[in-house]
Amino acid sequence: MNRLLAPFGSRIDRSQPIRFTFEGKPFKGYEGDSIASALAASGQWVLSRSFKYHRPRGILSMTGTDANALVQLPFEPNAAAERTPISEGLRVSAQNVNGSLERDRDAIMDRFGRFLPVGFYYRTFMGPRRDSWLKFWEPVIRRKAGLGVVDTKAPHRHFDKTHLHCDVLVVGAGPAGLSAAIAAAEASVDVVLCDENPEIGGALSYGRYDPAILSGLLARLESLPNLKGLTGTVCNGWYEDNWLPLIEGNRLHRTRAREVILATGAIEQPAVFRNNDLPGIMLGGAAQRLIRHYGVRPGQSAVVLAANDDGYRTALDLLDAGVSVVELIDPRPAGEAGPLEAELRGKGVAIRKGATIEAAEGTAGNRHLARVRIGGSWIACDLLTVSIGQAPAWQLPCQAGGKVGYDAAAGAMTITLPQGPVHLAGAVAGSDDLEDAIASGRRAAAAALARLGHAVADDPQVTAKTIRPRYVQPIVADPKGRDFVDFDEDLQVKDLQNATKDGYREIELVKRFTTVGMGPSQGRHSALATARIVAEATGRTVGEIGITTARPPVGPETLGVLAGHHEALERRTAPHARHIALNAAMKPVGAWWRPYYYGDASSADESVRQEILAVREGVGLLDVSTLGKLEIRGPDAGEFLDRLYTMAHANQPVGRVRYCLMLNEMGSVVDDGVAYRMAEDEFYVTATTGAVARVYADMLFWNAEWRLKVDVLNLTGAFSGLNVTGPKARLVLEALESDIDFSRDAFPYLSGREGMVAGVPVRVMRIGFTGELSYELHCPSSLAPTLWDAVMAAGRPHGLRPYGLEASRILRLEKGHILIGQDTDAITTPDELGFGWAVSKKKPFFIGKRSIEMRARLGLTRKLVGLQFPAGARNIPGESCLVLRGGAPVGQITSVGYSPSLGHHIALAYVHVDDQAEGSRVTVKCRNGELVEVPVVAHAFFDPTNARQEI
Amino acid sequence: MAASTAMRIYPFMPGGAAGSTKLISDAVVLSDLTGRPRFGLKGGGSAAWLAAQGVTLPAVNRIGDHRGMRVLRLGNEDILLLAEDAGETLAEVKAAWQAATAPKGYSSWREEGWAWMRLSGPGLAEAMSALCALDLRPQKFGADDIAQTRVGHIEAVTFRSPAGFDILFDVTASAYFARAVAAVAGHTGKHRG
Repeated sequence: MNRLLAPFGSRIDRSQPIRFTFEGKPFKGYEGDSIASALAASGQWVLSRSFKYHRPRGILSMTGTDANALVQLPFEPNAAAERTPISEGLRVSAQNVNGSLERDRDAIMDRFGRFLPVGFYYRTFMGPRRDSWLKFWEPVIRRKAGLGVVDTKAPHRHFDKTHLHCDVLVVGAGPAGLSAAIAAAEASVDVVLCDENPEIGGALSYGRYDPAILSGLLARLESLPNLKGLTGTVCNGWYEDNWLPLIEGNRLHRTRAREVILATGAIEQPAVFRNNDLPGIMLGGAAQRLIRHYGVRPGQSAVVLAANDDGYRTALDLLDAGVSVVELIDPRPAGEAGPLEAELRGKGVAIRKGATIEAAEGTAGNRHLARVRIGGSWIACDLLTVSIGQAPAWQLPCQAGGKVGYDAAAGAMTITLPQGPVHLAGAVAGSDDLEDAIASGRRAAAAALARLGHAVADDPQVTAKTIRPRYVQPIVADPKGRDFVDFDEDLQVKDLQNATKDGYREIELVKRFTTVGMGPSQGRHSALATARIVAEATGRTVGEIGITTARPPVGPETLGVLAGHHEALERRTAPHARHIALNAAMKPVGAWWRPYYYGDASSADESVRQEILAVREGVGLLDVSTLGKLEIRGPDAGEFLDRLYTMAHANQPVGRVRYCLMLNEMGSVVDDGVAYRMAEDEFYVTATTGAVARVYADMLFWNAEWRLKVDVLNLTGAFSGLNVTGPKARLVLEALESDIDFSRDAFPYLSGREGMVAGVPVRVMRIGFTGELSYELHCPSSLAPTLWDAVMAAGRPHGLRPYGLEASRILRLEKGHILIGQDTDAITTPDELGFGWAVSKKKPFFIGKRSIEMRARLGLTRKLVGLQFPAGARNIPGESCLVLRGGAPVGQITSVGYSPSLGHHIALAYVHVDDQAEGSRVTVKCRNGELVEVPVVAHAFFDPTNARQEI
Repeated sequence: MAASTAMRIYPFMPGGAAGSTKLISDAVVLSDLTGRPRFGLKGGGSAAWLAAQGVTLPAVNRIGDHRGMRVLRLGNEDILLLAEDAGETLAEVKAAWQAATAPKGYSSWREEGWAWMRLSGPGLAEAMSALCALDLRPQKFGADDIAQTRVGHIEAVTFRSPAGFDILFDVTASAYFARAVAAVAGHTGKHRG
């Protein structure tokens, strides 16, 4: 066991042991351990195999941002082992192995590297045929190149989304972010401080700093109720107007911040030398994180590569953790010894200046670091920590408009942001010293507060310590290779150099050709080295080369987080419970739930037949509450409808109901309904269930455009509709207590009346979809259940039956009544429907008028007609089956069904305009490809003279 | 339309469209006020008529008060009176309106078209943040502010009440809304699981 005693291991709870497996072998860790730390504690350093050469890989950064430590969980691929906590019984396996992690058959690829030159994919997989890539190579490579495996049967997880608003959002809770958040919160604004780590503190939680600094900051933080800390929360992008997704576990906080302070820190960079990828070689910060966060000793015998103070601190930490530090290698030339150097020397550590690691060698199969070569001689060690420099975490700043530059004198990447609501603080802004970082956080807070209109006391101008020039590693390709620049993609120095020799000189092209920076780490550990290599190879400066564009998301995110949780929208009509009580088969129609038929599923066909029969011979009741209902009120109401619909409404008498047909501006039919004029200044208008939202929006638009004296009100939910229809409909209504005279003469077809029925105020229209005597009763929705009950009771002696959507569909088809959207499409004109009668020729204007006139001049090509299949026809085409003429499609079936009233199948279909005459025979292609001939009949299959509806 | 003598059934009442849906009552409490008295006018003449009745009209998207009723100005000519505890006053206004001659605006039928629900409880802020995208922090959204927005993914009007937030939305979506609120409340604290 490589476990250290407390206080090392701030994240783990030693009293809570947890068992899990990796590659089928049992392991033990503690509550708070990550998969990688628990495995490291047990001496399991190999976590994965590399992408191309299948080389063993282990912990590099302990930040979870590279491919080295991606593992497969039972229900989740590509989990970052360095960040994912262990849990009891968790089964973890390695990714990208052929066989097992220990014995990967594809490890042989490492010997064939020279056959896989850079751009190999582009060169090799182009042929031999044009489609070879898609048909052959891509599937093969996809199988080989897998990262994790998606389990499509994974159990459901809870995801949700919420919204977060704050005055200042600080991303990153390291020293700079922490001090920025505190300074902002002390000015009494709402502050959110988020950090991807489970604790506040950033480098203060694992670096070699006085613990009093962190505890002091934490004490101030806790005293500020307006400062909300979100740990374990990733800020995964910056979008326009300071909109940022914060991902906290399975929850997405859609965050809007007035000011944003990015204190995202810096990314330690690996050193480039032969075999720099061996398990046991890690960044200094990774060793410090293992020690302080997890109480794990990162090795027994270490060599420390240190080109900055952090490296020296790492060496001291290693000593504290009981690791023997064989030698500290500082590639910088010998100079004045600082206090850290003196302390190390005092502890007997040998320090060699002006030298560097030239190469490393591994144990058998390169499973772990065995020795490193310095100055030509080999030194045995099982740990090499690397602290040679860092790059600012540029992802979020660049998304927010930051530009990456390069300060050649300082040897550092720089980021500059335009003046605005986004500020940088700490290491991402170039601070490389604790006090500088804390001061930089305060300055960023002051800038943000000033923009929020707070008077900010002038921060005593802290003289930033002169930025010491950073060490810049000279990168020379090792003659034997395996000097990796990009670990994700197994790219070596020569690969990048060769790309430039092939003419790919621009960084975006180098990226596309070599795939550098395309892996899970997105260039975090390779972009700086790549820029330097390309600059060197093309004789330009690093600043001229730059880095590739950083786009959201910053890190991987699950689709579940993006999807969140959605309850399915559901709308219910007021008599909903009545339908349920009557054993209705409820079906969704858009968001609405409607009775499909009443009765058991086992006798569905019979129920539908009985319902149709009731309407044709007795009386039926249909809940039409889903219909769109609109009130158009005001002195110009008639004029408004005249402009919107094709028929004339301004001259429509009060008490009359008129069909209304709506076109769009290209003259296509988009909606129909009826308009009942209740008063000179008041119309009650229906629209189709599916179109009302759009119709209402259009009405509001045109009302704003035309500025008529009109108010438009959507009453779809406020009013319910019951259609009482059938030869006995009048008997039923006359049996109800009412002040309305329902007789034929007093209440003729296509008229409307207001009054009381069974104590319920109603608007009644004599209209209907069924072709029978029909009254549509509309009433305030809270009274609809009561009205339903009254109609049902009054209808009982007359055999009234409630009927559902399927019966309604057939009843209207028997009459040849169209359904907008089903029997019409995006280009249907009134002429194609034979609806010339519904289009006013006298009105100077209505929407679509000019278009239908222009389209009429182009001539009609198709027409909607009725088709009647012979009784007993064997093969009935379905909806959308093609109508052919001379073998070419000219139209399609739009509605089809069996008519019990007629005893055979009937359909509506678009046919060639020359076939519209009754008696023409058209050819229809059935689902199975068979061609059938069907005669054209008039639209109304049943009661063609429409006598029944007017009785 | 004449006044009705028949029984009114609102969605969450027995026999109502959402009668079988339970209203959550936990850290988040959802209560139904749909049956409470309210009356709205909309269209030309509405504001003038109400003003003539002595109702002081607030600015658009603000709430005023008139004899114990809350006066919601949803638009220049779109005003809604809520009378949670002032039913008689409301009935008087309504009767006066029905008897009046035009111009007097038109009924907006809000008492029929909109459900009226109240969200409260210790989990209110978290639930409201999940349901609504707006910045509803007290310093941004005061007691007399109205938001015409989306709550629980559907169009809604929301404003503060002493107990929490009141929400007006399409009455036909009542069962859905109760489920959406329950789902949001159920997610509280579950996201790290």
